[in-house]
Amino acid sequence: MTETGTSSSPTGAGAVAMDADVIVIGAGPAGMSAATELGAAGFRVIALDMNPSPGGQIYRAVELNLGDQRADPVLARALGRAYAAGWPLVARFRNQEGIDYRPDTTVWELRTDGTVGWQRAARGGYLRARHIVLANGAMERPMPFPGWTLPGVMTAGAVQTLIKSSRLKPTGRVVLAGTGPLLFLLADQLLKLGVKPALIARTDRFGDKMKALARLRPAALPAIAKGAGWMLNLRKAGIRTVTGVARLEAVGDDRVREVVVETGDETTRLPCDTLIVHDGIIPSIDLAQGAGLAVEWRAGDASWCPVTEQSGLASPSRGANLSAGASRIWITGDARQIGGADAAAAHGRLVGQTLAARLEAAETEALTAGPARIYARAMAPRAFIDAAFPQGQTSGDLADSTIVCRCEEITAGTIRSKARQGATDPDQLRGLLRCGMGPCQGRSCASTIGRLLSEEFDLKRPPRPFRGRPPVRPVPLCILATLESLDPELVSSEALNDKPDASGGIDSDV
Amino acid sequence: MFQPIGSPKAPVTVHFDGVPITACPGETVASCLLRNGITRFRTTPVSGAARMPFCMIGHCFECLVEIKGLGSQQACLTVVVEGMNIATQAGAARVAGVGHD
Repeated sequence: MTETGTSSSPTGAGAVAMDADVIVIGAGPAGMSAATELGAAGFRVIALDMNPSPGGQIYRAVELNLGDQRADPVLARALGRAYAAGWPLVARFRNQEGIDYRPDTTVWELRTDGTVGWQRAARGGYLRARHIVLANGAMERPMPFPGWTLPGVMTAGAVQTLIKSSRLKPTGRVVLAGTGPLLFLLADQLLKLGVKPALIARTDRFGDKMKALARLRPAALPAIAKGAGWMLNLRKAGIRTVTGVARLEAVGDDRVREVVVETGDETTRLPCDTLIVHDGIIPSIDLAQGAGLAVEWRAGDASWCPVTEQSGLASPSRGANLSAGASRIWITGDARQIGGADAAAAHGRLVGQTLAARLEAAETEALTAGPARIYARAMAPRAFIDAAFPQGQTSGDLADSTIVCRCEEITAGTIRSKARQGATDPDQLRGLLRCGMGPCQGRSCASTIGRLLSEEFDLKRPPRPFRGRPPVRPVPLCILATLESLDPELVSSEALNDKPDASGGIDSDV
Repeated sequence: MFQPIGSPKAPVTVHFDGVPITACPGETVASCLLRNGITRFRTTPVSGAARMPFCMIGHCFECLVEIKGLGSQQACLTVVVEGMNIATQAGAARVAGVGHD
């Protein structure tokens, strides 16, 4: 059915052997759905995922928590029906023939020609496929404030991960701060687990909800009803909540001890053991950027996202690129545009079906109409959600002394001063200050640097984020030195022809 | 700081800075250290400040520790193995076999 297994010619000029028809990166709702569609259509898929089990962040450890005979009923109830919805998705993915699922695998390079650099424990190498589905999800928007690097300050997603995959819940004095649906979902889950937060410090205001009503669509009503349910539970439990928080600070020595929350007219100081922060989520663009794909600014949810067609097909950025030829990368799920699990699963199916049709050279329109309709419905509440929970801590004034780059401990003041000296884009700042050169490779500071430069130069939208270059994640040298499958491009074009012939064919006149 | 939900499974033993601690089979190094009340996973190369996991999904690289002598390992992505040797990462990662001092 397919042209996989094409062998590379020994002289190197020909085609490179394909390891699969499609490599899917990420096994969340989007990646699993795309892989399942492709597997069902008879294609060979390799699915690479960083996590030990499928489900992504939203359905993390769903098999462990709901499939296990000893599953804890309190935990199952706290995680709720939306979490349980991941179970059939994971089961279909697991049972689908044709999917070579490789967990615990980190991807550190992606090229538009379909080449992927991977690492799994002490092993690494390159894989190549005819197409790539990039479904590497989202991350929480980095939210700098004084003290945010102290141990004990964690994101809402981090606490959810501990609940889902480690069955750990925070104890002691727990404070939640920021905004966005995830913060309130987590507060509701904590309550169901018997953890009563001491305070929820919200940056959003009631007025935001009023303004958001203009963007309300009937399809958004179920999502709004769910949110209202969380709010009602929090109120019934008597959780202290403040809104319109203008300033937040974590205070402590070797860990957080106290949190300071300022609203317009009031300052609250509270002892605190765990400060949980959240200010919305943004697409993970690390691999897309590293592959030289184009990104665009979305003002609605204040994030960079890859330039893609509705089908998910990504566009290479203009200018010099690491690989020639048409893009073979299809981006889906939250990595393409923030939409949540249902939208991600629907779009993943859409990409899987479109790609299967492309590989079979068939018509696609009739095939993908179903997932496209579900995707549109799942995306309907987004405009309302974006307006109801506008950026909070990541939009206000950032004090000069606040750390922006967590890896290299570079403050907002240092970045501003370099900007005033003429560093007008993130790449220049990176070269001058090392921000974005630490282990996280700019994931934690890129959006803040964009914000500071926009403020400094009064820009309508932030300058293009750091140019990405492989490896986008640190790879130990011992793995690079022992790659199991070498860079196919180099292997094919050079074929190590300069090596002396082991059979003794060295020129006799030497 | 963190407390188990429900009854824990039969534990395995790992070592953190030479001290034996208990871990749940299948959990990550980060979750194991947090379960044991450890808040200092590493100190930063710049100021020596203590850091603990921040994102738990492999983005922030705050949870870096030494595992089996190899530095800069992401504790949130590495699953515990019986007898695993884990150590605080002080400052920049060491190259195996090469000391700082």
